[in-house]
Amino acid sequence: MNFRSDSRVLLQGIAEPLGAIYAPLMKAYGTNLVAGVSPGHGGQTLHRIPIFDLVETAVATVGAIDTSVIFVPPYAVLDAALEAIAAGIHQIVLITDGMPPLDMVTLLRKAEATETLIVGPNSPGIIVPGQMLLGIHPVEFYTPGSVGLISRSGTLTYEIALELTQAGLGQSIGVSIGGDAIVGSSFPQWLQILDEDDNTEVIVLVGEIGGDSEEAAAHYIAEAIDKPVIAYIAGQTAPKGRRMGHAGAIIDSQIAELGTEIGTADSKINAFERAKIPVARRPSQIPDLVKKALKLPMKR
Amino acid sequence: MDLLEYQAKELFRGIGIPVLPSQRIDRPKDLKGLTIPYPVVLKSQVYIGGRGRVGGVRFVENTIDAVAAAQTIFNLPIMGEYPKALLAEAKYDADQEFYLAVVLNRSIRRPVLLGSQQGGIDVQAAMDQMQHVVVEQEFSPYYARRLALKMGLQGDLMISVAGILEKMYQLFIQKDLDLVEINPLGVSPSGTVMALDGKVTVNDDALARHPDLAAILETQDKTAFEPLTELPVAMEADGQIGILCNGAGLTMATMDLICQAGGKPASFLNIGGETQWNSSSNILRQRLERGLELMTQTKQVRVLLVNLVSSLIPCDEIAGVITAFLKRRIREPRGVSEIRPDTLIIHTLRIPQLVVRLVGSECDRAKARLADAQVTIADTLDDAVAQTIVLAKSVTRDS
Repeated sequence: MNFRSDSRVLLQGIAEPLGAIYAPLMKAYGTNLVAGVSPGHGGQTLHRIPIFDLVETAVATVGAIDTSVIFVPPYAVLDAALEAIAAGIHQIVLITDGMPPLDMVTLLRKAEATETLIVGPNSPGIIVPGQMLLGIHPVEFYTPGSVGLISRSGTLTYEIALELTQAGLGQSIGVSIGGDAIVGSSFPQWLQILDEDDNTEVIVLVGEIGGDSEEAAAHYIAEAIDKPVIAYIAGQTAPKGRRMGHAGAIIDSQIAELGTEIGTADSKINAFERAKIPVARRPSQIPDLVKKALKLPMKR
Repeated sequence: MDLLEYQAKELFRGIGIPVLPSQRIDRPKDLKGLTIPYPVVLKSQVYIGGRGRVGGVRFVENTIDAVAAAQTIFNLPIMGEYPKALLAEAKYDADQEFYLAVVLNRSIRRPVLLGSQQGGIDVQAAMDQMQHVVVEQEFSPYYARRLALKMGLQGDLMISVAGILEKMYQLFIQKDLDLVEINPLGVSPSGTVMALDGKVTVNDDALARHPDLAAILETQDKTAFEPLTELPVAMEADGQIGILCNGAGLTMATMDLICQAGGKPASFLNIGGETQWNSSSNILRQRLERGLELMTQTKQVRVLLVNLVSSLIPCDEIAGVITAFLKRRIREPRGVSEIRPDTLIIHTLRIPQLVVRLVGSECDRAKARLADAQVTIADTLDDAVAQTIVLAKSVTRDS
């Protein structure tokens, strides 16, 4: 993993609406954004960021790139990511919502074979407060500190970052693995990264209904994580069988009529409680639980 | 999105999975034009499973019986769902019934082939003997043979079941599906196989690149003219609180808080997070306008909690959208053309009470604008929830 402030970043889809908004914001925050790619816009610049038609041309011109952040439309994401991998990029952040899951399966086969880290899709990306922004987190909600924040959502992550910041608890990193059913990097992967990260003292994991990634995380924490972890699960009152806006947030039985209900909030909360991980009842309770874990005074 | 059996079978026929001759029946008298020889089976076309156990499947020997049976099935709700159509299909004498499926497994992030020799209506028996093969790399037919062998099949039957699985997988990939299921796959005494029932789940995100599926589903591309992709979701029949948020996680968390505090949600609406590639402050503004319209259309929502966390648009602009909406609503009473003028006043008072919580830039200016419009503003999410509950209690007392 290389998410230091000097790591070299590419933005694919820099001429698309969301990419064009966030390219200057990422750069202004200190991200070393060396190039953008948007087919048909080669030769142009945006806020002094050079734009290329192809990733390989960008690499040939500006030099090796560590991370690509992808903002292209949903059906172009697979192609953009494969292009980045072909150009030797090993860290890819997929912001776009609405990528078909079978495209993701194709991408993951390639990513695993090339040892490429994929974050997302349908993710606001990664923020290292005070250093770099690889995505669309609102930087004003974050402040540097020692809380590692990992989640599956966007705006709820911002909400919790703000709660932490207002309580005087800065963050070492904010990552969303994405709201889709099939995502690249997993909770266990990020738990391991943050367990080894010197700047992180405590981890806040924000989960939601759907799938079993929280259950997997609870197991992994009990087995392999030494740092304290606080969990929160959204969706306890969400209706069953209904897509909640995240393609991944749905309580369902995977095969029609077969098997039991998968992905309920209760199942996730029970998994954390069995692993002796404190579960916050509401976002505003998270700062208190973090302070308790860090043995800080509880004044609010 | 699920397909009905007859729609799934159209896809099966197209890819070469054997299905029986069949005909869609939209009303009982359609059976008079039936081209399939009797005996036939009539099947209720509903999304829910288990129709056979409750009388949604009937065998008939002649037209008179068929029309009577069709009338019965059309009037028989399956778990509350009435069929819009029936499928009339040739009868098949199966010696054995297998279960087969191709499904995308989100935990292992790969398609999985599933199969059981115990198919049919007893799903527990199918489960107990279920075999699976994960399609780790690019598919090749050996994955299908591996599953057929794991199911305990051999010889010609193993080859023909593997052939069906291969076609199911092709369909799964070609049409971007979440699930292809055949239950049961009938096996005749001579060893030929036939898909007797089928289920296909289409992936919502991929639908736009499969116009043929969209045509089968008769859906229109809503996003083309509608800023919102989501619609309000109804919750409790006696709830009074509406919840409008941006982003799925935030919507769920806000609704959880309302319920924890003893509030009863009537409906909620997620106007969309910020990870859509074409998001901009303009689109967010349109979605909020449309969201406010939708959430204030039902009389049931007496208090509307608006909780927005955005970095795309300054708070004072959001406040501007909300105040402009309120002004419009008060000036343009709708649907009162033939009613007495005094009901007009009652109608305009039907706008729910708003509790607004905004975070982001220019928050102070937003508060000033909202205070002028007499909208309740909250600083924190907890405050917003508490104020919503207080207002909901007072409107319930008043009514």
